[in-house]
Amino acid sequence: MRNTWIVYQKEMLETARTYKLIWIPVVFILLGAMQPIITYYMPEILQAANNVPQGILEGYVMPGAGTVMSQALGQYSTIGILVLVLVAMNSLSGERYNGSAELVLSKPVSPAGFVIAKWAGLFTILFLALGLGVASALYYTEQLIGSLPWMDVVAAAALYGIWLLCALSLTLLFSAFLRAPAAAFLSLLSSAGMALADSLMPSWFQWTPAALPGLSARLLSEGREAVGVNLSPCLSAALLILFCVAGASTLMGRNKLPK
Amino acid sequence: MMQPLLQVSNLRKSYGRHLSVGGISFEIAQGSCVALLGPNGAGKTTTLRMIAGLLPPSAGSIGFTGSYQGGDFRRELGYLPQSPAFYGWMSGQEYVVFAAKLAGMNRKEAEGKAKAALERVGLKAAARRRIAGYSGGMKQRLGLAQALVHRPRLLLLDEPVSALDPIGRREVMELLREIREETTIVFSTHVLHDAEEVCDEIIVMKDGLIAEQGALSVLRSKYSQPVITVRTEKNAEAIQWLNSVGAKPFILEARLNGEHAVFNVDNLKQARHTILKEAAASNIPLLQFEAGSSTLEDMFMKVVGG
Ligand SMILES: Nc1ncnc2c1ncn2[C@@H]1O[C@H](COP(=O)(O)OP(=O)(O)O)[C@@H](O)[C@H]1O
Ligand SMILES: [Mg+2]
Repeated sequence: MRNTWIVYQKEMLETARTYKLIWIPVVFILLGAMQPIITYYMPEILQAANNVPQGILEGYVMPGAGTVMSQALGQYSTIGILVLVLVAMNSLSGERYNGSAELVLSKPVSPAGFVIAKWAGLFTILFLALGLGVASALYYTEQLIGSLPWMDVVAAAALYGIWLLCALSLTLLFSAFLRAPAAAFLSLLSSAGMALADSLMPSWFQWTPAALPGLSARLLSEGREAVGVNLSPCLSAALLILFCVAGASTLMGRNKLPK
Repeated sequence: MMQPLLQVSNLRKSYGRHLSVGGISFEIAQGSCVALLGPNGAGKTTTLRMIAGLLPPSAGSIGFTGSYQGGDFRRELGYLPQSPAFYGWMSGQEYVVFAAKLAGMNRKEAEGKAKAALERVGLKAAARRRIAGYSGGMKQRLGLAQALVHRPRLLLLDEPVSALDPIGRREVMELLREIREETTIVFSTHVLHDAEEVCDEIIVMKDGLIAEQGALSVLRSKYSQPVITVRTEKNAEAIQWLNSVGAKPFILEARLNGEHAVFNVDNLKQARHTILKEAAASNIPLLQFEAGSSTLEDMFMKVVGG
């Protein structure tokens, strides 16, 4: 327990030293701010591109604050996931292949402790990046478009965060037994697969973690009362994350030595 | 007799059908220094990793005796892998503090002990520099510092000098000689000379098995057998004569390599007399004749080569 904390502190020091603690939140802040700003200035942008047909400009209706906010969150399910997965892909495989894990695991640290420290480090990055990203999206949306109930935004961001955490946990799992690029590819593939399945057959997949982004968007456009409480996607996400961490611990224990 | 610190019995490790370590048994006494000696692929790394608890054995047992508080035997263990990898973004000091904390020390104690350990291995000046900028020799010494910092009762070092240049090698050997006064050391090497320089016991491994083990002094006298080396000119008659000598009753073992022959004999005096007399009588063109005794090196070369 204590040693898991020490390894976590080392993880956080590494994220700070390698500037991950800065550039990942910056990417999320930019992604979050971009959506309300672009939406607000869309008429000007279209006008500046002077060969745009007249009808489009006149038909432009400024979307509501809730829609803009959910579009901003939508950025995180594409570019956001990509950034997170690329950061997480090396977390276990890098240390397995170069041998630094062998040295740490020769100390009183269990593979599970090692994996949990890694997971907690990734969770911290996600928490910071998403928190700051959503704050900047909210700030510009309120300034430029309209106000939103804060509690709804927090709940919507949390739902999105759980979905992103699923993608991170999958990457960690694959990183425990594959090389980094394969781990990134497989986790992107499986998250995209889940999302696709959910969009094709929503009624079948509404209990899976892949339903979380949609739930988050509805929460923003329709409000908390209209959406009601839907726990099953959160529950299945928690199970998926637990499975990934447990699986990664087992696989890490078997594959900790460099070849 | 004191109870041994480490007791390994019938230790095996197989990967699929390939047997890396084929059932070995040995004991390591408290305070001793033992060299695990063997050519590449002998199973040294596999053995050390099993002792360090990094690799589950396929069969057999490893007993670590002693009064260790809190349960985890790894607290009492220092381990240095064959090519240690650190975090390049850390400084040497930070890494050793990290290792000391993992071994159970609080921050303050860890910092003090880390400083002392780094000074000890000669990295005081470089302690605050990033590990990414360290040379191979410095990394090896940092590896020693992180293995030593918590004063382990058993130090496992996997080929600590094999990758170093002569100067780095000298430094690390010097350190090992000091450290052996304080704790029990098991280190692996493929060079007999390294083992003789620091240790008093060796375990010779070959193909996953122990070919020979014991105190160096005992093994030296055991393998100090009378030996006669003969070299002739390269001609068929002489080579044939060497072969006939090899079949004589006083020859225990003959190793013939063309015009070069090494004979282990039981009675040096008689053998020398007979061989020289025959050589003179048959007019054999001798180039070299040497009577002496075999060394540990000969034994080791035989194990490694055969
Ligand atoms: N992970 C592994 N999978 C398969 N074979 C292995 C593995 N690790 C070691 N071996 C084999 O076990 C044998 C002993 O290896 P090793 O212990 O590294 O020897 P040494 O350290 O004495 O050079 C070698 O033949 C090696 O190929
Ligand atoms: Mg080896």
